Amino acid sequence: MTALLTRVKTTLSIRAHRRVRGMLDGEYASIFRGKSHEFDDIRPYVPGDEIRDIDWKATARAGYPLVKQFIAHRKQTVTLVVDTGRDLAAAGAGGEPKRDVAVLVAGVLGYIAVRHGDRVGLIAGDADEVRLLEPKGAESHLERLLQVVVERARLDGAPSDVHALLERVVRTVRKRMLLVVVVDDAAIDEETEQLVRRLAVQHEILWVTVGDADVMSADWATRPMVDVADDRGIPDFLRRDRRLRSAFLEAEVERATRSADRLDALAVSHVRVARSSEVVPAVLRLIEAHNHARR
Amino acid sequence: MSLVNIGLVIGWVVVAAAVVLVVVLRRRAHRGEDAAVHVAHGERLTALPGYARALRRYRMLLATVLVAATLLSAAAVILSGRLVSLTTVQPEMRNRDIVLCLDVSGSMIDYDAQIVETFSQLTEEFDGERIGLVLFNASAVTSFPLTSDYAYAREQLDALHADLVDPDTDWAFANGTLLGNGSSMIGDGLASCVMRFDDLDTERSRSIVFATDNYVAGEQIMTLPEAGEFAQSKDVLVFGLNPGDVESLDYIGEFADEMREVVEGTGGSYWALDDPNAVPSIVEQVQERQAERFTGEPILVVTDEPTFPVLAGFAALAAVMFAGWRLRR
Repeated sequence: MTALLTRVKTTLSIRAHRRVRGMLDGEYASIFRGKSHEFDDIRPYVPGDEIRDIDWKATARAGYPLVKQFIAHRKQTVTLVVDTGRDLAAAGAGGEPKRDVAVLVAGVLGYIAVRHGDRVGLIAGDADEVRLLEPKGAESHLERLLQVVVERARLDGAPSDVHALLERVVRTVRKRMLLVVVVDDAAIDEETEQLVRRLAVQHEILWVTVGDADVMSADWATRPMVDVADDRGIPDFLRRDRRLRSAFLEAEVERATRSADRLDALAVSHVRVARSSEVVPAVLRLIEAHNHARR
Repeated sequence: MSLVNIGLVIGWVVVAAAVVLVVVLRRRAHRGEDAAVHVAHGERLTALPGYARALRRYRMLLATVLVAATLLSAAAVILSGRLVSLTTVQPEMRNRDIVLCLDVSGSMIDYDAQIVETFSQLTEEFDGERIGLVLFNASAVTSFPLTSDYAYAREQLDALHADLVDPDTDWAFANGTLLGNGSSMIGDGLASCVMRFDDLDTERSRSIVFATDNYVAGEQIMTLPEAGEFAQSKDVLVFGLNPGDVESLDYIGEFADEMREVVEGTGGSYWALDDPNAVPSIVEQVQERQAERFTGEPILVVTDEPTFPVLAGFAALAAVMFAGWRLRR
């Protein structure tokens, strides 16, 4: 199996993302701002670092900005909460399986965390089973986590069950940590909302929605289409129907708006990612928004 | 209705069944392996109220295509099988020779005129028949020989008819009929008419329309019965029209009986008549009688009937194209 982490690293190191990557590091570090003030070390400033963490005296001596680093920052725990149901194996808005986008999102955030010295764990599941993998700080561990996601999210796997997944998180995770929730466009219903509300009280939550494929998109108008939920085909004739299309788009916009509104109401930072190429900027935007919201 | 190339039809049906089977099996085997797009939350589309409507329309179009395509192939298969209708006909033989054998003695003129007029009209319908005209009194004269030149025959018959009905006629048409020893040599007349048939080797029906009162006034070479036997030997039917066989002419009753015997002896029919206007209906009966006698073997006629399959095929093709266009749009 190809090393999933290699793909993550490649994505982060392509030219367009190089500048973003530094900012990601800084913004990521800022998530845990103010949780502990036990001084550990100073390090060079990177964009995104809190201005008030700058050690002005050290900066004056060095001639370039230095920030104070605190012990607590180094041993944060990040838990990737990933839906690995059959739905994730379905096509995303960009045409590739949503699983690939989800793995990239989890990989990028996990990799930054690992590089930052934090530990990364995984809670992944579907209607059949929810798996817990202990947080550890090694890249190899992160690779293993990503492999679990890839293995479980298959077309012949169990249906998705975001509710069960979040319930499991509520029951098992006691310690305060950063939860990176990676789910698809599934509507956020009342019950899910309740769970998210409980989680948001205790944890930092970064909510990443992997966009579903537009069923009626012209990109695959000529290809057969199968609904992963029941293996039933959706005839292309119906996908070309103009009236149906406008009704569908209307319904989609309404649903997406409602989901976003719910998350906004819960003050959960969220972002929607449609395709792999959008992952890095989207994750940066997400963390920025998260940090900004709390300031 | 039946199919000529039934083997071909069966072949096509077998091929079609095989193709359908292969396609179904292949589809089943390759289900899900094709480049299908797998999507989640399809119910967001399928739960829309418009979806059920569109799906119904889609299924209807599909059903239309299926039915029409089946109909189209069925029509094609049937056409390849050559749809024919089989009918048996008893063809009326059109190879008849008719000699009008008219006694032109004074008493017969009205009847002759009717016979001539009727046959003049009949030439319109003739096709393959030949007609000839012999006038006799003491001797027989061929007015025109057996011919299928109907325009000519008609011209002759019409000219004769004009003479017969003209009270001031110069009797030129009867020239040469009085060269015998006496007049009204009926037996000689019939025998002469029988001799007018040519081409005796070919299979033709030969008949004589023989109009006379059989009142002999002179010395004949052949008597009427002898002439009848002669006709019989040549396989000639004689249809006799006798205006003399009426009560007012009782004195020649035995001549009438003789004529009836002779005529029926040849296999023909005999009519006694006292009104010239009855002639057309008698001629009609003569025709029928002949037709009865001279119908050929029943023939099986095979007629191609492509009209219905072709039209049905076109309709089905139109339906396929229309539904296909709606589906592909």
